[in-house]
Amino acid sequence: MSAKVLLIDDDRDFRISVRSLLETRGYEVFEAASGHEGLSQVLQHKPDVILLDVMMETSVEGYGVTHALKYREEYAEHRQIPIFMVSSIEESPDERFPMSAEVEMIRPDGYLTKPLDIPRFLELLEKTVAGPRRAP
Amino acid sequence: MNEAAAPETIVVIDDEYAMRLACSKILSKMGLRVEAFENGARGLEGVAALKPGLVVVDLKMPGISGLEVIARVHEIDPQIIMVVITGYATIDTAVEAMKSGAYDFLPKPFSPDELRMIINRGLDRRRLALESQRGEVERALLKRRFVTFVSHQLRTPLVAIHQYLDVLKHLDQTKDDPARRQEWIDRCLKRTEELQNLITDWLTLARVEGGTLVKERVEVDLRPVISGILASYEEMAAAEQVSLEAVWPEEALCVCGDRSCLSVLFDNLITNAIKYNKPGGKATVTGSLSGGEVAIAVADTGVGIPEQYRPFLFDEFFRIKGEGVKRTEGTGLGLHISKKIVSEMGGSIEVESQAGFGSTFRVRLPAWLAPAENTDMGSWE
Repeated sequence: MSAKVLLIDDDRDFRISVRSLLETRGYEVFEAASGHEGLSQVLQHKPDVILLDVMMETSVEGYGVTHALKYREEYAEHRQIPIFMVSSIEESPDERFPMSAEVEMIRPDGYLTKPLDIPRFLELLEKTVAGPRRAP
Repeated sequence: MNEAAAPETIVVIDDEYAMRLACSKILSKMGLRVEAFENGARGLEGVAALKPGLVVVDLKMPGISGLEVIARVHEIDPQIIMVVITGYATIDTAVEAMKSGAYDFLPKPFSPDELRMIINRGLDRRRLALESQRGEVERALLKRRFVTFVSHQLRTPLVAIHQYLDVLKHLDQTKDDPARRQEWIDRCLKRTEELQNLITDWLTLARVEGGTLVKERVEVDLRPVISGILASYEEMAAAEQVSLEAVWPEEALCVCGDRSCLSVLFDNLITNAIKYNKPGGKATVTGSLSGGEVAIAVADTGVGIPEQYRPFLFDEFFRIKGEGVKRTEGTGLGLHISKKIVSEMGGSIEVESQAGFGSTFRVRLPAWLAPAENTDMGSWE
């Protein structure tokens, strides 16, 4: 069965190109244009990996999604899904939320810079989905 | 006054019982919360605990002096307004008190009206100080975020383009799909155009930072200007299935302004009315002249602007995204620039909107007044 990737990004063009790339590599791809949509897609499709844009102009920003997924009860069974945050600017949550406790809480599994370095990105995905299967 | 807000607390420090009682009575009737203390030491404890907005202090008291109270209160919170009470004999001390940070003073004996007036003035002053302090903090934060924000705005289209090209390069050649490739090239061109517009608008703004967009003030009849813009968007409107209409009076609609700025202004409003419309919708420009003002309304029958977004509509880089909004290609600077142009010409711009039914932008500009020594009087004869 092919691994499922959820793309949460408000730029449609970015989703189109990344989706095509991933599909030719055998991934099943789901898209969401906003944080809210992304959260409902998580419940619906149970992805294996989430690619999440940091700066979206819709109501739930990247960090809000990460926080919800890692800490809200309704997403408890999806807590282990690896989340990679993607941004065109290097901005770690430490800059955005200078309080260390909060930063600890929303730390995703990794950061990627836009545009994606395709060979490295594909390698990272492969490693991630091939990793130890998470507990049911 | 905001009725929902908690009443402001006033601390009165005076060794005279009658004075404490009188102040408490008068100020309580003004809807303020009053706590009175009989000496400086107790008063300072009260200030630290109650965090009042204003302190009334008698200058001449046994123990800690009024002057010292002022200094110590300001150590607790420099924003607390200090009003001193003083006898006639100590006007000099009152002056000294003002120098050391008191806001106002009340010479004894004073009437209830005088007390009320000075307290109200002090509280107004405090509200202003707090507001401007908040404003400064916000501005500083905004500035810091702004650089990050602008680079993000500039990079977004660039990233999309790069990603298309790079994925094309990495896609397996045997799986190449010419239709998809063509579509992606078109998207890249669209995003390049977006980037161009963004840079143009951004430069327009950067160039006028602290200066003005409006360079000349000449007589401009808006009818041909706007008709020209409408004509140039016929094709775009047809593609969006939006009909364009202009409703003019017979007389000229002359304003005093800068021709190219006026073009930019109405170009922005008209393209918005087409872009944020619905298929089968209308974009109507109506002009009128009355009371020394030219009023132009640009109305659409489109998606409308939800109320919560309206206060930000003219802000830099503001764009409405999300449900029901298909476009994300604007630069977010058009309305900001438009507002700047209108203000510089001494006019105003307002928006009325009903989400789901359309928006109307109303521009008012001072009408052109023929100079008194206009030599071109021929047509008057």
